[in-house]
Amino acid sequence: MAIPGAFGAGIVDYTTGFPIASAGSAPNADHDAAAAGTADVVQAANSRSLFVSGVPHDLLEDLIITTAGGYHLLRLVPTDFDSRLVLWVWLDRIHGNLAVARRRMQTLADQLVAR
Amino acid sequence: MKPSKPASPGRLLTQVAGERRTGALVVGGHPGGTVYLVEGTVSYAESVAAPGVGELLTASGRLAGRTWQAALDAGTSRAQVGPLLLEQGHLTQGELELCVLGALYDAAYFALSPASAPADFLDGAGHWIGPVIRVDAAAVNREVRRRGRLLDEIFPDARVDVAPVNPVPRPPLQRVTLTALQWELLVHCDGQRTPADLAQLLGRAGYATIQELRRLAALGLIEQPAVRDRTTDKPDFVRLPRTTGTAVDVRRPALPVDGPTVPVHGGSAIARLPAVSGDPPRQSPEPDPSNANGTTFRSPRLSRRKPGAKLPKDVLAAEPPPRTGTDEVLLKRIRTALRALR
Repeated sequence: MAIPGAFGAGIVDYTTGFPIASAGSAPNADHDAAAAGTADVVQAANSRSLFVSGVPHDLLEDLIITTAGGYHLLRLVPTDFDSRLVLWVWLDRIHGNLAVARRRMQTLADQLVAR
Repeated sequence: MKPSKPASPGRLLTQVAGERRTGALVVGGHPGGTVYLVEGTVSYAESVAAPGVGELLTASGRLAGRTWQAALDAGTSRAQVGPLLLEQGHLTQGELELCVLGALYDAAYFALSPASAPADFLDGAGHWIGPVIRVDAAAVNREVRRRGRLLDEIFPDARVDVAPVNPVPRPPLQRVTLTALQWELLVHCDGQRTPADLAQLLGRAGYATIQELRRLAALGLIEQPAVRDRTTDKPDFVRLPRTTGTAVDVRRPALPVDGPTVPVHGGSAIARLPAVSGDPPRQSPEPDPSNANGTTFRSPRLSRRKPGAKLPKDVLAAEPPPRTGTDEVLLKRIRTALRALR
């Protein structure tokens, strides 16, 4: 895995919580639950005024959830056509580097659709 | 081809996937759809309620209509449209796969969610998109059932998914917060367009559309189909489209017309239409700007005349113009009546 300290990762359709692809391990060893949870968090962030900006084009980019043992990074994948995809990575708090992981995820999300 | 008989499309899919067959599972009914299999795995699905790959890519402006059409022309006969788009560099592998995957699951929901529908299996039939992805049939079935449950958790009324969408005149809330897609849906709904029409019009996923419509129904922002049907379900009275519904027509910017604005012969409206337009073919041919009752009539534009001057001879001769508005109202009435019968 390209991101140091990552336990697992996946791509989720956040309208439905459908795991399109996943790799490595998921929290509680359940990729489906991880996908459904990811979708719930993104939906919540997308529909609450606290996280949704009224400034045009100030769109939600990523969400970082921190636990004592790790980080969960959720990054929205921008596509030109209509889709609602989010990339998630579960990161070890000791071995992972949040800043590096965030950068890598941005490139990864862009590469997913870029040429 | 076997005669179609009502069956559970989901169970039929499991069956043909178990036999590792190649072909198309055609599900009838409303809205219906087709699921394509290659050796027992799902390769594509399509439904009228779910915009296909072409609509998604062109409506978003990702591909120009003519690029898509050229790929269709070149690749349909040998079922290579997807690979062709990759080869020509119009799309990346990731984009194409994500787009096809999204369209597949979206259409599969509409094709497979009915408990019972007339279904046929066409052996050997393939889809022109060509080999892009393969999905396990059991995963598709599981996801279809899960999506159905999700909708019912939001608002348990499946009629919202097919009935024409009507916004309520006054929202039962003091403050309304909408997502971007909800706004698009409310702006474009007019009491005539069904969720499937709206999804195709906006190039939005069919499932995402009905999901947002169920949310709007739960908030009380769109009228519930049941209420409307009971009050107006009389044989001799058909509800006309609401005049307050100011739905916006989605139009691509029209080409400037360089022909004469004054009709030269007979005031023919056709003479003013642009000869060539870059619009994709699915644009509905409804250029008539008359309102719902067809009362406005736009007379042909005339050149500036001196005060007291007579009208040009050819314009006078052309009077009275044919009033096409009445026919349109009649057609709309028939359409509404047919919808109410279904």
